[in-house]
This record gives sequence, C-alpha cells and structure tokens, in this order.
Amino acid sequence: MSFNHFNRRLHLYLAMFLLPWVLMYGLSSLPFSHHDFFDDLYRGDGVSTWTKRFERSYDRPVPQGADLRQIGAQILADVDLEGAFGAHQPNQQRLNIYLHDFWDHTRLSYFITEQRLVAEDRRFRWDWFFTGMHARGGFQQDSFLNDLWAVVVDGVCIGFFIWIASGIYMWWLLKPTRLWGALALGGGIASFIIFLLAL
Amino acid sequence: MYALSTMAMNHRHFFQEYYGDSKTPFHLESETTYNGIFPDNAKPNTIAQQILLDLNMDGTHYVRGGRNGKPITIWREAPLWMKRITYTPDNNNLRIERQESRMPTILEELHRRKGFEQDYLLADLWGVIVDLVIAAMVFWVLSGLWMWWELKITRQWGGWFMIAGALLFALFIATI
Repeated sequence: MSFNHFNRRLHLYLAMFLLPWVLMYGLSSLPFSHHDFFDDLYRGDGVSTWTKRFERSYDRPVPQGADLRQIGAQILADVDLEGAFGAHQPNQQRLNIYLHDFWDHTRLSYFITEQRLVAEDRRFRWDWFFTGMHARGGFQQDSFLNDLWAVVVDGVCIGFFIWIASGIYMWWLLKPTRLWGALALGGGIASFIIFLLAL
Repeated sequence: MYALSTMAMNHRHFFQEYYGDSKTPFHLESETTYNGIFPDNAKPNTIAQQILLDLNMDGTHYVRGGRNGKPITIWREAPLWMKRITYTPDNNNLRIERQESRMPTILEELHRRKGFEQDYLLADLWGVIVDLVIAAMVFWVLSGLWMWWELKITRQWGGWFMIAGALLFALFIATI
C-alpha cells in the first residue's frame, strides 16, 4: 500500500467513524452562535425552566477552600442521586451541584447558612440537549463511559489535525486545483490573522 | 483552532494543576485618575463605551456594576488579550488590569467567541465565519457521505466504520 493510498483510506475511514461527532459539533454550534433565536422559540410556551423535586433541611459544613467535588459527591450520596456532576460555589452561602446526562439536568442548591437543600429538574429543550452534548468533556467524572467520551473528544480533535494534514497532502497532489486551493488557504489564514489582531 | 481549544478544554484540569490555579489571574497594568464627564443618568453601557473610547480600546466588552454611582467593571475581550477596567466614580480611580497570557485561556476565549451580540462589525463578521464553519461541517459530512458512496471499493469498510461510530455514539446517548 503506497502512502497516497494509506492517506486516502485514513482520511475516509476516520471520517466515517467520527461522522456522528462532526455532525453533532456542527449542528450544536448553532444554538451557541444564535442563542437568542433559540431562547425565543421556547420562551413563550409557558413551561417553567425549573421544577422543584424536593426541598429539605440539610446540614453539611463547607469549609473554605474545600474540594467542592468531594462535598458534592457526599451530598449526592446523602440524597440517593448519582451520575456525572459538577459543583460550583457562587458565594459563601451557597453551593450548587449540577447533575446531568444528555437528557436530564438536575440542580441541587445547598443554602449553607440556612441549612436547606433544594433539588430542581430542568425542563428538556432540544437546543440544551445539543449544547450539553457539545460542552461535555473532561476526565473528572468517576465513570468509565464518561472517560471514554472524553477520549473520543480527544480523538475528534486529533481527527481534525489528520484531516487537515491528509487533506493538504491530497490537495497538493491535485495540480488542477492547486492555485485556487492555495488562494482559499491563504485567504483563510490571512483573515484569521486579521481577526486575531483587530477584534 | 477549534480542535486545539477543544483539547485544552477537555484537559482543563491538567492545565489548572500545571498553572496552580483554576482562574487565570489579572495583573495591574496601570492606575490613574479618569476625569471624563458622563451624561446625566448614564447607563453602565454608555459609561463603559465612553471609557473604552477614551482609552482607545473600543471593542467587544462586557460590563458589571456601574448603577447609581457604584464602581463599574468592564471586561474588554480581544482574541489575544483580556483587560479588566474598573472605574470608581467616588474618587475617579481608573484601574486597568491585564489577564495573564496563557495559551489554554486564549484558545478557550477564541473557541467561545461569537458575534451578533454587540454593535461591532468585526465581531459580527467573526459570527458570520462561525456560521460558515457550521455550514462547512454539515457540508463536509454530506459531501463526504456522497463521495464514500461513489467509491465502490471502500463502500463496505466505510460502512462498517460508520456503523461502529454510530453505535458507539448511540451507546453514549443512552447511558451517560
């Protein structure tokens, strides 16, 4: 198998395997780029964003500088919830824990000084479904499948580098499109630099 | 840029450990007295715009505070640098801080950047380019599928790779 042959097969088969991710990242960028438009689609439908699941008294100290993920995991265990989550402390009085999968999103608000814990479920919206998928990544969750998703995210990134390199190689071999390709490539690089400097 | 920045975000914890903090710090660049005069009952956005124009720094920015004579903080976001400008009306103090230059932070800012939110032509043009990237990605998927189907010699293996990818994607959707 020649390098040219290998390059073409790699370009194609990698694309076929990663096709769902490329399509997902493309489509899910739209709600990010046109946030207001998608917000308007759902705003008038009368469905509230958050529905309270429970509210209870709760007491767990949150020392300053504590590992929020560790405390978040303890709180989730205390209320029999599990899954991928993130923890955020917007101020000294409050700790938020976000429990999420691709379909559901639950927010636990722990009001530290009031010793009160509120759990709320977020409504489903297709734009949030896609943006949630888009934003998902990282290796901080204690779950094999979540880590595997992050590995695939890295794979998609590496895939893009391979498509760029293999695409440039294939373009260079096609003499009839060399000039126009160079103009397009040069124009893209020049405009990117202009944006970097002028924005 | 999008691939590099995605890797930076996917390994954010690594970079946070590497730099030793979760937020990129700002460092004082200058502190002066600002003697500009604002219109009566000027809104925070008006105040921010005037300060940025006077500093010759106009561009995409975000504002916090500034109501009822309270201090106003302006985040001026350029692709390669970010500045935080704080104006305190009580003593006309103008403090300019620059965010430490870190490659992961710059890449993340570029990744998250969008247009159509403020009245800056270049920012909107960036937004148009982002939309073009989205359209291109969808086009690459569709044109790639068509080219794959036309190449009979790779149809079978290409099909297997596509099915394997789709199954893995479906597994993720159903489980995590």
